[in-house]
Amino acid sequence: MGTFVELYDGIMELLVVLFSTWALAPWVRGVLGGLVIGAVFGGALVMVYLERKFLGDIQSRIGPNRVGGRFGVLQLIADAIKLFTKEDIIPAKADKWLFIGAPIVALTSGFLMVAVIPFDLLVINGKEYAVAVSRMDISILYLEAVSGLAIFAIFMAGWGSGSKYSLLAGFRNVAKMIGYEVPLGISIISVAVMAHSLDIVEIVQAQSTLWYIIAQPLGFVVFFIALLADVGRIPFDQTEAEEELVAGWATEYSGMRWGLAFFAEYLHAVVGAFIITLIFLGGWNGLPLIGNLNIPGIFWLIAKTIMVIMLFIWVRGALPRYRIDQVIDIGWKVLIPLALLNLLWSTIIGLIWA
Amino acid sequence: MIDLQIIPFAIISIIMIGSSIMVVKSKEVVHSAFHCVIAMMSAAGFYVLLSAQFVAVVQILVYVGAIGVMILFAVMLTTREQEVES
Repeated sequence: MGTFVELYDGIMELLVVLFSTWALAPWVRGVLGGLVIGAVFGGALVMVYLERKFLGDIQSRIGPNRVGGRFGVLQLIADAIKLFTKEDIIPAKADKWLFIGAPIVALTSGFLMVAVIPFDLLVINGKEYAVAVSRMDISILYLEAVSGLAIFAIFMAGWGSGSKYSLLAGFRNVAKMIGYEVPLGISIISVAVMAHSLDIVEIVQAQSTLWYIIAQPLGFVVFFIALLADVGRIPFDQTEAEEELVAGWATEYSGMRWGLAFFAEYLHAVVGAFIITLIFLGGWNGLPLIGNLNIPGIFWLIAKTIMVIMLFIWVRGALPRYRIDQVIDIGWKVLIPLALLNLLWSTIIGLIWA
Repeated sequence: MIDLQIIPFAIISIIMIGSSIMVVKSKEVVHSAFHCVIAMMSAAGFYVLLSAQFVAVVQILVYVGAIGVMILFAVMLTTREQEVES
């Protein structure tokens, strides 16, 4: 184990030296940023596979088991080939630009969110380096702002498809989002109040003694539910309810356009899992009492994120879908008061601590 | 020597003016709403150029995330003329 940690530290130190001395540092940073974004992209692919396999287990099925050996590892590649070779259909009644733009906006919003996610904090020669594409003072606010752009993607898809089902899904999405962005924002505020910072790196550093899931469990519950609604996963996926709206906003999409829109949703879910891990589950810190056991922080972060993703899948397998009016009710009448209560609680606790 | 910042400034200005004109010119109300959102986002771009990141992010959060969505919500609750005729 020791040599492994040394290897990791050595690689990171080399990178830092490269950054600080090489004249082309911005370009190197750009390439590495691309790599990080590619890694999260790959993470979303892993999530699709995990979801199929784990959901299969929950529902007493086998899941993918034909392509790529017994565990169906290559099923996704087969699906991608299928999607790429399908005909690209744009309905005659569609609003062409909105229809084409929707998957692009969805993916852009997902990738913009990846840019500020920090993966680790390294202290080399007494200086701190955050392992992130870009470190901002207000990164958590930026995440909240950029994730809001995904609403437009779904509305564009819903309106642009020129189909009644898609339109209904777009309406539902906007109605749902107005209710759920508020508790999401308030629980982020309560975390920021407790950490005295809007920078995710500092929020994670503030959790080195106590995770915020212990300090404000109510905030975690509210944030988790609001995030599920935000990324549109199952108890809150009224925008693509199969039984009611065929496939919701994705009804008219086919081929790779559908693939990209679908994939953007998984990207949002993965980024959401990262955010939960970072602001409530201690990020790259180890377990509260045990410490980090000499394992590099990035592995803790990824392990916790995978746990959160499994929780998403578990929730999807275990719960039925709510009706749209129930969803709006939960958002306005339950989550927002609870979020405000949690804000009060975290302010008091934060003051006592400080 | 010309400040290189003029290039992103010019690009954002063109996008902003163009989309602002389209807000007025569009036949479809929804297109106006989306162009309005684009104009608001280019305002955020100006703030970034002025290195006021916080204002830029709040611009996106409030104007794009909240007001833009509200405009869309209002648009979707109004009936279009074509639908009334048919």
